[in-house]
Amino acid sequence: MAEEFDVEFIERGDRSARFLVRGLTPAFANGIRRAMIADVPTLSIDTVRFIENTSVMFDEMIALRLGLIPLTTPLDDFEVGETVTLALDVEGPATAYSGDIQSSVPEVQPADENVPIIELKQGQRLEFEADAVLDSGKTHAKHQGGVAVGYRHLQRVEVVGDAGEFEEQEPNILRGVIETEDGELVNADEFGNDLTQRYPGKEVEVHDVPGAFVFHVETDGSFSVDELVLRAIESLDLRAAELEEKVRV
Amino acid sequence: MELRVIEKTDEELRMEIAGEDHTFMNVLKGALLETEGVAAATYDMNPEQSGGQVDPILSVKTEGGMDPLDAVAAASSRIRDTTADLRDAYSAAI
Repeated sequence: MAEEFDVEFIERGDRSARFLVRGLTPAFANGIRRAMIADVPTLSIDTVRFIENTSVMFDEMIALRLGLIPLTTPLDDFEVGETVTLALDVEGPATAYSGDIQSSVPEVQPADENVPIIELKQGQRLEFEADAVLDSGKTHAKHQGGVAVGYRHLQRVEVVGDAGEFEEQEPNILRGVIETEDGELVNADEFGNDLTQRYPGKEVEVHDVPGAFVFHVETDGSFSVDELVLRAIESLDLRAAELEEKVRV
Repeated sequence: MELRVIEKTDEELRMEIAGEDHTFMNVLKGALLETEGVAAATYDMNPEQSGGQVDPILSVKTEGGMDPLDAVAAASSRIRDTTADLRDAYSAAI
């Protein structure tokens, strides 16, 4: 039943992308979205052994902050549940940043170097060893690889006539991505989300295109958008494979 | 993924699929409904706070002599075809 899929990128970056997929069912689109959020695992600090914490915050509060620091995650090298040891030693007066964290594995590093952990005054010191564990967003939100993942229907804009000559045109606000009559894909940001900016003096009609979904995917830096999308598809595939095998027995 | 068949006749199946949530169940339901010989397919799932049956229960009804377990297998392989096609389409667009 080979369905024809067509993927087109509208915006493409390492951590954020917008792409159109044609031929999807709503169930499948939502399955991929949910898998991106909750089922693709990332590394995140889970256990902290404090050696010295003379900062103004309790150990637990610092541990919570540490859990929220995104770590680059080479998914090929780790299984869910495996850990990586990290360490930090900062003495005040200074601010401890995520970039100060030393990792025992070169591929696992803080995804951003400038996440502040805590400001330390003269004589205060923070030193700890921590274990980051690979787990999925289902267990804890700190393991979510996709931070802003969603989709919208593609909208087709058709010019149906001219607007009344002496009428004041009202703004026609629209979000998402439109497909023009020439088949061009345009992000609504480009014309200020207002259709009257793009089609001045025209009467337009907007229709959702069935089966065409515009995904917007943003990762926390643990891995690239491509990795996240492909892993999400793979996770659905693995579950279908498991079910098929178990049902056939 | 742990399967437990609750009820099974020639044309009806009720099966618990432990450890899964809406992510996979809705995709599976969608694929079942597109499968030939399936008259009805749905799943029921309760939130964790309900304290009762929280693992999803898949219900399938078939027609025309299709075994419901075969229908589930066919739907799974349908999902696998879709994921493979989608992966290829995405990789081609990169």
